[in-house]
Formats: sequence, structure tokens, C-alpha cells
Amino acid sequence: MASLHITRVKREFREVVSSEEAQKSQIKIEIIDESDLTKLKGTVIGPPDTPFEGGTYILDIRIPDTYPFNPPKVKFVTKIWHPNISSVTGAICLDILKDQWAAAMTLRTVLLSIQALLQAAEPDDPQDAVVAKQYKGDPELYRKTAKHWAQTYAGAPKTTDDAEISAKIDTLLQMGITETKAREALSTHSWNLEAAVDSLFT
Amino acid sequence: MADFMSEVARLDEETLKQIDRIQKEVAESCEFIGDQEDIDILTKQYLQDDEVYQAKISDLKRKYKKLRRTRGDGNCFFRAFGYAYLEKQLEEKTDLDRFKSAVIQCRSSLLSMGYPSFTLEDFHDTFIDIVESVNKASTSSAELLQTFRDQGLSDYCVCYLRIITSGYLQSNAEFYSSFMDGYSTIKEYCSTEVEPMYKEADHIHISALTSALGVSVGVVYMDRGEGLEVNEHVFPEGSDPMIHLLYRPGHYDILYK
Repeated sequence: MASLHITRVKREFREVVSSEEAQKSQIKIEIIDESDLTKLKGTVIGPPDTPFEGGTYILDIRIPDTYPFNPPKVKFVTKIWHPNISSVTGAICLDILKDQWAAAMTLRTVLLSIQALLQAAEPDDPQDAVVAKQYKGDPELYRKTAKHWAQTYAGAPKTTDDAEISAKIDTLLQMGITETKAREALSTHSWNLEAAVDSLFT
Repeated sequence: MADFMSEVARLDEETLKQIDRIQKEVAESCEFIGDQEDIDILTKQYLQDDEVYQAKISDLKRKYKKLRRTRGDGNCFFRAFGYAYLEKQLEEKTDLDRFKSAVIQCRSSLLSMGYPSFTLEDFHDTFIDIVESVNKASTSSAELLQTFRDQGLSDYCVCYLRIITSGYLQSNAEFYSSFMDGYSTIKEYCSTEVEPMYKEADHIHISALTSALGVSVGVVYMDRGEGLEVNEHVFPEGSDPMIHLLYRPGHYDILYK
């Protein structure tokens, strides 16, 4: 039983591949390197009727050698604007990835829970305080921002006209700010150009 | 903001590393299940002028002869329970068939509650393999000890006993719900306090597990409570204990007469 965690990952890998959700292309797990099964690439599709609809979200999955007794370490690689996911680091605030993990759970459970989190955010237990504040204070602006991020980073279909947003980002680009930084600053400051500029230059 | 967030991430990482270090230290200082030792070793663990504990240890020595320490990793009750029961059955082999059917019954009940068969079967098969090995005349106590000192096998047993405990609590929600302080549902209690590894066991866990598997356990309490004697409480109440555990605040070890 030297590499219990590897044996288990192999079996779980097969479970995800043959799952109903994978058949419908809702979730996916890929092996990055055959010789190292502790690093996996996960994919979750943004669920319908959310700002993330149709977006493809890549996850970085690390299997600790104490798996399945400790949870896998999972974070978003694709940038996302969501109260429970850090817009900067991709860290996820989800109970089953922390103190509610149980060894009876699997990678499939994890991916489905993350998808459920995209469907129903928990702003009272935030990972990203700025996003959570916006989610509660100005839900319309939150949806607009989240959708813009989904279209920009996750390849969600462009259904809204982002001309105003693009113009603001362009203004910052001309000041020598990188696009990522510009988008972060504007999103953080409710798309108020002046406030974003202030935050970047002070 | 970005700097602040990466600072938070760095601190998180630091905390995790520190937890890792502490766990390693605990692991190095004690096996999952230790060797049998004389109860006298407890005398040295407490100050000579600690009257309450020294008196209680003397009382404990009158009632029990030996002790087997377990690792203090929050899983000690489950591990001690599993090992002590199977060790006893290794000698007696009187209760194993009944025990096995109780375990099988628990599996069916968990499956009907919607637990994923994928992981459940894994735990079940591993656990039953160990139970069956105990039933064989050729299995030695050293082999059983080896099994419980193997991280993978040992933790599989702990996990399965945790899920069995959780399943029993959920099936008897009406009875147990009045004991769940601070939790709105049994399910929430179980997913926070029972199923995750390293969460310490409480009366509720002990009551549920002993009832689920029909294994009677005597828990001898040694704490700063009143009196100079240790008190034994039997789970389920009124039954005849098959195994005995020593409880000191936050920890369970195995006792022998």
C-alpha cells in the first residue's frame, strides 16, 4: 500500500471519465504527466443562467500524499470574478476543500461542488472580499463584471456589448498599465475610471 | 489589493506548513498503536505532587494491568476501538460473524442513504479483509499490529468507522438531534464533526459507533473531575464491555485487565 493515493487517483480518474457529467462535457480531468499523477488538470464548464455560462474554467489539482484522508489542493487557473474565488490567486473557499473534506468524497465530488459553487455563491463566506461586497451591494454590476471576465478569460460566448468597458480599459492601457492590472483595478472600483486610476498611481 | 491577497495566500501556506510540521512531530513520537506497557508509565507522566492524578492512577492500577498508547491525532478513539476489538477477537474469535454482518448491514444502510458506492466499497472491502484475517488461525497479533501501524490500512479503518458512525447518527437523527449544540442538522454535524479525519470523538460518536456495530465499550475517565477514583462509563449503557479505553481530556488509549 505504498502509494495508496496514486492507486486511488487512477480509479477516480476512470470514475470521472465515465461519469454522466463528463459525457455531457460538464466536467473533465486530464493527466498532465503520466509519470506524476499528483498533478492533474481539471475543467469545469460555467453553468447555465449564471454570468459564467459557457465559460471553460481550468483548475489546478494537486493530490497530497495523504490523499484521500486530506483533501486535494484545488485552485482556479482561469481568472474568475466570484465571491468565493480569489480574483488574484484563484484560491477557492469551499468547505469540502477544507474542514469538511471526507475520504468518501472523490475528485468528481470536488468538480461538481465547484460547479455548484458557480451556480450559488456564498457571499457570507467570501474568499474575495471585494467581489463579495459588490455581489451584495450592487448585484447588477457584479453580474456585468463577472460576465465580462468570463468572456475575456474563460471564452464564454460574447452576448453583451462591452464597448464602454473596453474604452475604459483602453484608457488605462494608454497610461502604460497592463491589461490584466487595468481590468482588476476597474472591476475592484466598480468601473469608476477615476478611482481605478487613483488606486494604480498611489 | 494584489499584494494583500498574495500575502494572505503566503500566510495560509505558512500555517499549512506549520500544521504539517506538528503532525510530523506527533507521528514521530508515537506509533498509531503503541506496544503494551505497564500502567506505571503513567505515574511518571504526571508530577509527583499532582495529588488528583496520582490518586487516580493508583486507582486505575487496581482495576487494570496494562495499557497501549495510541497516537494523538484526533483519530485515536476510532483507531483504538478498531484495534482493541479485533485484538480481542484474535484470541477469542467468538463475535466475528456477528460483527461482520453488522458491518455489512451498515454498508447497505449507507448505500441507501446515497453514499457513493465507489468509495464506500473500497473502505468496506479493505475493512472486511482485515476482519477476515483476524478470523484465521494463522494470523498473529504482530501482523494485526502491523496492519494498524500501516498508515494506509489504518486510516482506511478509521475512515470507514467514521462513516459508519455518521450513518448511524443520521438514521437515528430524532434521538441524537437534541445533543447537537450549534448545528442545525445532523447532516451538518456529521460532515463537520464526524466524517472528516482528525476530528476528535465525543460521547455522541462513541454512543453511535458502539450501537451501530453492537460492540460494547467501557470508557474509563481520568480527568481533574471530583473524587480520587477513576469512573468507568459503558456504551451502550448497561451492556457488558468487550474492550476498555482510557480517556484523558482529548485522548483515548487502550486498557487491559
